[in-house]
Amino acid sequence: LLLQKGLMRALPLLSLLLLVSACDDEEESTVFTEDGGTLEIDDCDYSITTRYGAEPPRVSGKIIGPDPTPRVVHLGIVGDPKTTIVAQWRTVDETTTAGSIRYATGANLPADQLKNEKKGVRFRYEGTGGVLYQVHQAHVCDLEPGTTYSYQVGTGDHWSPVYTFHTAPDVTAHPDAETVFGFVGDSRGGHDVWTQLADQIKQRTPDLILFSGDAVTIGLIQDEWEEFLAAAEPLFASAPVVITNGNHEANAINFYSQFAMPGDQEDFGFTYGFTRIFVGNDSPDNPSALTAITPPAMDADFSEHPEARWRMLMHHRCQWSSGSRHGSDVALQSAWGPIVDKHKVDLVLNGHEHMFEMTKPLFGGQVVSSNQQGTVYVVAGGAGAELYGWDTVGAFSQYVESVHTAAVIRARNDTLTMETFRPDGTAIPGGVYSKTHL
Amino acid sequence: VACIRRRISRLALAALLVVASLAHADNASDFRDASSRRDIDALERIGATTSPWADDAWVEAARIAEQSGDYVRARRDLEQAIATSRAVGSPDSVLVHRAEGDLARITRVGGEKGEWGAVIAEEERLLPALQTPGDPREALRALEKLAREHPGYPRAAMLMVQIAAGWEREGDADRALAWLADAQRAGGPPLDRLRARADRIRVLIRAGYLTEAEHALGELRGEASPGLSANLRDKLDRAKLRRDVRWAMYALLVVLVAAAAFAMRRSAGSWRGAGCRLARPPLEALFFLPIAGVLILVASTGNPLVGRAVWAIAIAGVAISWINGALLAGSRVTLRRAIVHALCAILAVGAATYIAVDRGHLVDFLVETWREGPDP
Repeated sequence: LLLQKGLMRALPLLSLLLLVSACDDEEESTVFTEDGGTLEIDDCDYSITTRYGAEPPRVSGKIIGPDPTPRVVHLGIVGDPKTTIVAQWRTVDETTTAGSIRYATGANLPADQLKNEKKGVRFRYEGTGGVLYQVHQAHVCDLEPGTTYSYQVGTGDHWSPVYTFHTAPDVTAHPDAETVFGFVGDSRGGHDVWTQLADQIKQRTPDLILFSGDAVTIGLIQDEWEEFLAAAEPLFASAPVVITNGNHEANAINFYSQFAMPGDQEDFGFTYGFTRIFVGNDSPDNPSALTAITPPAMDADFSEHPEARWRMLMHHRCQWSSGSRHGSDVALQSAWGPIVDKHKVDLVLNGHEHMFEMTKPLFGGQVVSSNQQGTVYVVAGGAGAELYGWDTVGAFSQYVESVHTAAVIRARNDTLTMETFRPDGTAIPGGVYSKTHL
Repeated sequence: VACIRRRISRLALAALLVVASLAHADNASDFRDASSRRDIDALERIGATTSPWADDAWVEAARIAEQSGDYVRARRDLEQAIATSRAVGSPDSVLVHRAEGDLARITRVGGEKGEWGAVIAEEERLLPALQTPGDPREALRALEKLAREHPGYPRAAMLMVQIAAGWEREGDADRALAWLADAQRAGGPPLDRLRARADRIRVLIRAGYLTEAEHALGELRGEASPGLSANLRDKLDRAKLRRDVRWAMYALLVVLVAAAAFAMRRSAGSWRGAGCRLARPPLEALFFLPIAGVLILVASTGNPLVGRAVWAIAIAGVAISWINGALLAGSRVTLRRAIVHALCAILAVGAATYIAVDRGHLVDFLVETWREGPDP
């Protein structure tokens, strides 16, 4: 009885202590550390790592701020795109730590049919002037290949609209599958053009977006990112985006924090359908990486995936260009070109020069007679930035036009094609690529 | 007997499976051949079969039809793709989702009955001619005719934006602005009209109509996103600053040239004497001429925009060294006078350099290089 009485008296005190300790946990979460960190993601066979300038990622908390409405929703991939997806978003307030994803199989489902729910992760990063920005992510890793899903993100009574996306197909089980990639780059403040192009790409229902860098003019300015992501939300919330660091992203923490991508987010490869895609950082903080890190990583990646039907390389600066602003990047030609040739890469996707240009097939720096024998380099740096011109069209050039453009690349088992279009959707006949696998 | 029947039925089933798999393989290879040949009829024939490639064949046929401007056929083939995929209960719902998107897009642009197909084909034929070598004015006039004859064209606003861009490249900013004003009033998606308004402000800024640009930007506020407004505001403010600096540089050059002329006149005793002194190339100019030649030669092998600016700066350098040399030639040079001459020469070179860089639209280029470092 004495023990019971003692416990009863101690209970309020214990409850208070528990409450205080819980509050302490939340309090601790408000302390910002900028050293980055790693978190194993539940139910996924991978972890995510944040960089210096961001705090370690952690499982979403319970705090619901004054306005937890999700915004700038966009998708990414870290694991196998056949079975995994990452939804990313920010909230109107910066204090909400709670966040989840709801999802279910099927296109454009009503919110009440999204029966599966998974808790997210979140972390903050430090922008200019010491301002902290919070990013939410939700990693889902139990998806079926080649399947359409509806989802929304948020918490409590505040949820995003329902969006629809596809997972990558299992091409062994479905050899008739087709994958469609949107390809675009260099928006840099031309928000009206960027909105038009994002809308045009969305109308073609891509599976994945490849963005070749320079999304913003100054990578450290968060407002620019907000505008870029908001303009493309209908597109980026429907297809994962893979983006390479351009000279204007400048390796800013804002860039690496807002895009979930495989590996170290700089030099990485992944397979989507029939295609192996390698993304390289040609504007690294340490210029020696251009020769010491990226080329061996690219070589190893393509070597480890001989089964890939098609190979594509995306990076920012143009290896071959007639542009009068930057022109061909001779350093990249000599450092990366031999690996492109060695692995018979089908398409190299670049930006940097604000125009559209497609080369003839090249091998060893020389024009060859057909796409079967060489690589075609595409510069599509016209997603909104002010256009550049050219003086002399290089002998390597197949077609050049100073125009705002985007492209869709369609990969099937036997064919790889590309169509290019202007912001109003009119086709650019000179921007058509086609290759049949022999 | 039962055993024999069972064996026969098993054999029949096996034969059926072999035939089915062969048919499947044949369809795959037929599809591949027809796709690579862009044979729309063959693709439609595959679409009419019951193979797993049927819906894919309809989709491919629709794409080829769209690319050739046959929007009626493209729509019909997409409808077939959706119906085929659904009829066989295909799990390939991604294909259906995409085909539905393509159908909506084609209907929006090409019209319910494909009535805009010919206009689209003509526009897509003419647009590349605006930038290929030769005179693009003929193509521009044909596009103008197309825009005037088809005011209800769903892409009318953007067609006018393209025409405006063509005239601006041809140096006719006023005609470009007139087309952009029309584009703002034309039909089409709101995104296209917003683009026309933003482009009009950009052209006004580039053409130097900064007061009008200020007015147009004020009208755009509330309709454009904060980022677009800020971007245009930034462009306008920069243009104003550069205009002011440009005028200041011109004024400085005029003052320096006038001062040099009067100094020469005073030193030579008459305007005629000053002219005679200027006619003789001074040692400074003779010294600098080959250096300027080398600079121009080296610059011409690199970026052509930079090459033109270097050419202008080198010529200005020769002119300044010539005038300076002529001024100093006929008189005793004190330290004070040498310092004054050097300062004036530095100011003149600075002003000429700014004007050359500004006229070559290289200020942004220099700022970017300063911020990001040179291209590797």
